[in-house]
Amino acid sequence: MEPPGLNHWLVVSAMLFCIGAAGVVLRRNLLVVLMSLEIMLNAANLALVAFSRYGNGLDGQIFVFFVITVAAAEVAVGLAILVALYRLCGTVRVSDIATLKL
Amino acid sequence: MLVWTFWISFLGSAAVALLPSHWKSEVRWLALLFAALGLALGLWGWGAYDVEVGGYQLGNGEGVPWIPELGVRFRLGADGFSLPLVILTGVIGVTGVLYSWNIEERVNQFFALYLLLLGGVYGVFLSVDLFLLVVFYEIAIVPKYFLIAIWGSTRKEYGAMKLVLYSFAGGALVLLGLAGIAFAADPAARSFDLERLAATNFSSGFQAWAFPAFFLGFGILAGLWPFHTWAPTGHVAAPTAASMLLAGVVMKLGSYGCLRVAIGLFPGALGATVLGVPGFWRWTITVLAAMNILYGAMVALVQRDFKFVIGYSSVSHMGFVLLGLVTLNLWGLSGALLQMFSHGIVAGLLFAVVGRLVYDRTHTRELDELGGLGRAAPFTASVFIIGGLASMGLPGMSGFFAELLVLIGSWKAFAWVLIPVGIGMIVTVVYTLRTIHLAFFGAAPLVGGDWRGLPPITLPEKAASCFLAAILFLVGLYPTVLLSMMDRASQQFLDRVKQTVPVHLARP
Amino acid sequence: MNLSDLLPLLRFLAPEILLSALALGALLGEAALSRLLGVEKRQNLLGWLALLGLGACLVILGDQAARGETLALGRGAFVASPFNALLKTAATLAVMASVTMGLRAPFVRHVGENYALVLFSLLGMFFLLSAESLLMIFVALELTSLPLYALAASQKGARRSIEGGLKYLLFGGLSAAFLLFGISYVYGMSGQGSLAGLRDWLVAQRTAGGPGFLFLTGVCLMIVGLGFKIAAAPFHLWAPDAYEGAPLPAAAILASASKLAGIVVAARLLLGAFLPVAGNVLGSPLSWHAGWSPAVAALAVASLTVGNLAALAQRNAKRFMAYSSVAHAGNVLVAFLALDASGRPAALAAPAIAYYAVIYALTNAGVFAAIHALAWGARGDDFADFRGAARRAPFPAFFLLIFLLSLAGVPPMAGFFGKLFLFMAALQADATHWGLAWLVAYALAMNVVALGYYLRFARVLWVEPAEDLRPISTPLELRVALVALALLVLGLGVFPSSCLAAFRTMGGVLLLRG
Repeated sequence: MEPPGLNHWLVVSAMLFCIGAAGVVLRRNLLVVLMSLEIMLNAANLALVAFSRYGNGLDGQIFVFFVITVAAAEVAVGLAILVALYRLCGTVRVSDIATLKL
Repeated sequence: MLVWTFWISFLGSAAVALLPSHWKSEVRWLALLFAALGLALGLWGWGAYDVEVGGYQLGNGEGVPWIPELGVRFRLGADGFSLPLVILTGVIGVTGVLYSWNIEERVNQFFALYLLLLGGVYGVFLSVDLFLLVVFYEIAIVPKYFLIAIWGSTRKEYGAMKLVLYSFAGGALVLLGLAGIAFAADPAARSFDLERLAATNFSSGFQAWAFPAFFLGFGILAGLWPFHTWAPTGHVAAPTAASMLLAGVVMKLGSYGCLRVAIGLFPGALGATVLGVPGFWRWTITVLAAMNILYGAMVALVQRDFKFVIGYSSVSHMGFVLLGLVTLNLWGLSGALLQMFSHGIVAGLLFAVVGRLVYDRTHTRELDELGGLGRAAPFTASVFIIGGLASMGLPGMSGFFAELLVLIGSWKAFAWVLIPVGIGMIVTVVYTLRTIHLAFFGAAPLVGGDWRGLPPITLPEKAASCFLAAILFLVGLYPTVLLSMMDRASQQFLDRVKQTVPVHLARP
Repeated sequence: MNLSDLLPLLRFLAPEILLSALALGALLGEAALSRLLGVEKRQNLLGWLALLGLGACLVILGDQAARGETLALGRGAFVASPFNALLKTAATLAVMASVTMGLRAPFVRHVGENYALVLFSLLGMFFLLSAESLLMIFVALELTSLPLYALAASQKGARRSIEGGLKYLLFGGLSAAFLLFGISYVYGMSGQGSLAGLRDWLVAQRTAGGPGFLFLTGVCLMIVGLGFKIAAAPFHLWAPDAYEGAPLPAAAILASASKLAGIVVAARLLLGAFLPVAGNVLGSPLSWHAGWSPAVAALAVASLTVGNLAALAQRNAKRFMAYSSVAHAGNVLVAFLALDASGRPAALAAPAIAYYAVIYALTNAGVFAAIHALAWGARGDDFADFRGAARRAPFPAFFLLIFLLSLAGVPPMAGFFGKLFLFMAALQADATHWGLAWLVAYALAMNVVALGYYLRFARVLWVEPAEDLRPISTPLELRVALVALALLVLGLGVFPSSCLAAFRTMGGVLLLRG
């Protein structure tokens, strides 16, 4: 069995991205939606690391460090807003936040 | 010094707006002062303009660069086309203030918007740079909305919005053409100077789409059929002074743009072959103008609302202007110019009578409900009859020469058009007489009594009415007072245009 | 590297350093003063300090612009140029208006944090406006957005604020994910991290068989991410809710400075780095060339349509402004397409986009400041709450009218010239064949609709009668802000070439350093 190459990693990353996107669109629980967003970011991380590993130098891996930090910050803000929402409305379900129209 | 007209109006607008709203009489006098200053400057310009030399005069020479990246210059001036219209604007401006003396609500805002509109109109007439002209044109749109929507009557918000959107749509077409012109010529010689553009030979392909964009864009404002529908609703909804300005001056803004920009810059398009028809645009516009005259008169004939009669009569009369423009001969062109001036005064007078002297006092404009007003208000009746006769084109009144010249011009250019135009003129006589009869002489209506006890006509109203009527007679009896400079300008215009238009279209 | 080498760097980085210090200072100030002073006093004190600091920033930026020196660090990671300094000045002015609005906002309890968030967001915009590398663009974009999510949701007692903030966060996060995934492909296929490097690589690929499918997928994903950022339809769904939910000072930043930064970064990426794969949309669809142009043209047409038509139906002033913002995204995208058949952008395109972004930011800051002043005495921010407001508060109502007319494109306000330059740029691109006339004609037609709805809002203020006649007093600092913004909008309108010339001589959006 040959070792996995760049294309394998890219396929995995694309699949992760699609799974994340589907989660954001389809899931009803806001916590899960936030997690799906993280999956999408990590899909990009995987692609960056893979590209970096297979020939493009270290830039991509440095990039990933920044992305991980930024993603953590994003989750922090997201969770804070979720907590505020839960305190106010007692819910974290997408279907319950329809005060504002689309 | 002439260029101060619009600065003074803008300044007046700001000054009036800053006065507290309860200083009503101060506001009125100040507005009158600024409007009168504009008229005085216009008259000074009329005296100072050298007819023999012709061309642009009294401006700021070659102007100053404004947006050098695009070759836009701040250049102003007046010639035989624009100077009479500047004077017209001044006359309507002053009389409009006099007829608005009774406005009590938000006086300062009313006159501020009014003077802003006046300034924009002056600016359009005085611009020698196309870009500048368009800027002033757009400035003049928005005040109309508020004048109508706040102080108007009958479906005022609908009328105001319709009017503004039509004007802005016309403006959008003009902007499209303007942006096109910027890149039609050699980038090194990029300029919007109307004199230089007029000397440029645009490619026939460019003319073929730029001409309709400009003519339609400005034509909407001139009430070109079938884009005229904003005019009657807008005029009816507007307060008196605004209807006077709209019908008297703003519609002329449109026809002025048609002449100065569309025909002036792209005369070749008039004779060009489009869709296999030689002279397609000239034919189309002639037919549309004839429709203006005939359709406007017919519709005016069946109106029940006094103000709608005048509104549609304006559409009808603007047909003469547009018809005169496309004849491309001296008679037609001078006639169109004289008609612009004459109809400006006539429309101002008629709208003043209907809006101020009749409606503000009787609170009805239904012709069925008026009737017998002549006995109770003889001054109103006489003024309206003078205006009505001038509108019919009676000899001795300003309309006579104007329409006669247009008729001669169109006889030379396309004789067949005289049939619908003639019918239209007969209908004009009928509806004017019908209106005079119904409103002033018919039996007094049952509901309104015999109209005794109407508020008397005030001094400002009398002064303004007499002033307008006097101008009608002056221009009617001695048209040379304006016609000399119009003729000179038209002659120079035709000399230039003839080089680009096929000879058979521009025969004398 | 010794100290004397660092000093010039400090001069170029001074605005960013000052801003970071200010933001941290606001946090510390809150911590130090929270026991000593009441909320309102802290709000005033810290707010004025922030304004003072931002004023100092303006001075430094003005100095940078006047010196005319350019510094590029780390392969485009940070480029300080006079052009960027002008853009940053506009963003700072808009944020100053927002801070002024917030000086007396009653809903905030943790005032220091609030100011710190505003300042951090501005810091993100500074970096974004200076960024010419993919990494910095991503990080700066997030630094801009994260504080804005929190600000949008900062009215914690109001459900619509939390919900609006949450929607903004979710859509923002989605956009970041798309952008990042796109970046990963773009970086991976080219191996280039800087925009200049990307462009050179793309030019080189012309002879080497094209950049490849994956690269173009990455570009498309990035366009989706940028579309979210500048609220171009169909990626605008967050905007109405976020605008409506956010407190007015926060909404003002969303609509002005954040949008400015988004437009500039989109222009840098598309017209700068990805120019060689632009394609074009000249003439009939049959003669179009593949590239990002058709996609951006679709965004432009969709934004013009959705923004303008949906704005007609709005009843809430903030939602209305959100759709207006979508429509303006459509306007500005028109100039992105100003490329001739060989892919060269029109000379006017870059200055026109920059000019538009600047005046749009200033005008929108003015609109929100004026709405804020009027909302002082109103129950809410629906149109119905502003009925006859001109009688109650003529001063802000007059300025609101000026700003609305500028957005509608009425001269002599700057909005007219902004739109005109955008459309002129589009026509200039293929001047001999009028290839983009279809798009410009459509945009002009939609702008006629736009005048209709801006006048509808103006009518509510100026024409309709007031039910409640109590006058609304406007605080002095807000008056000053309104006058200053109006003077800028009028001044840049009457003298557009002051700005245009600066943008041209200082290097347009396209001038990349690397």
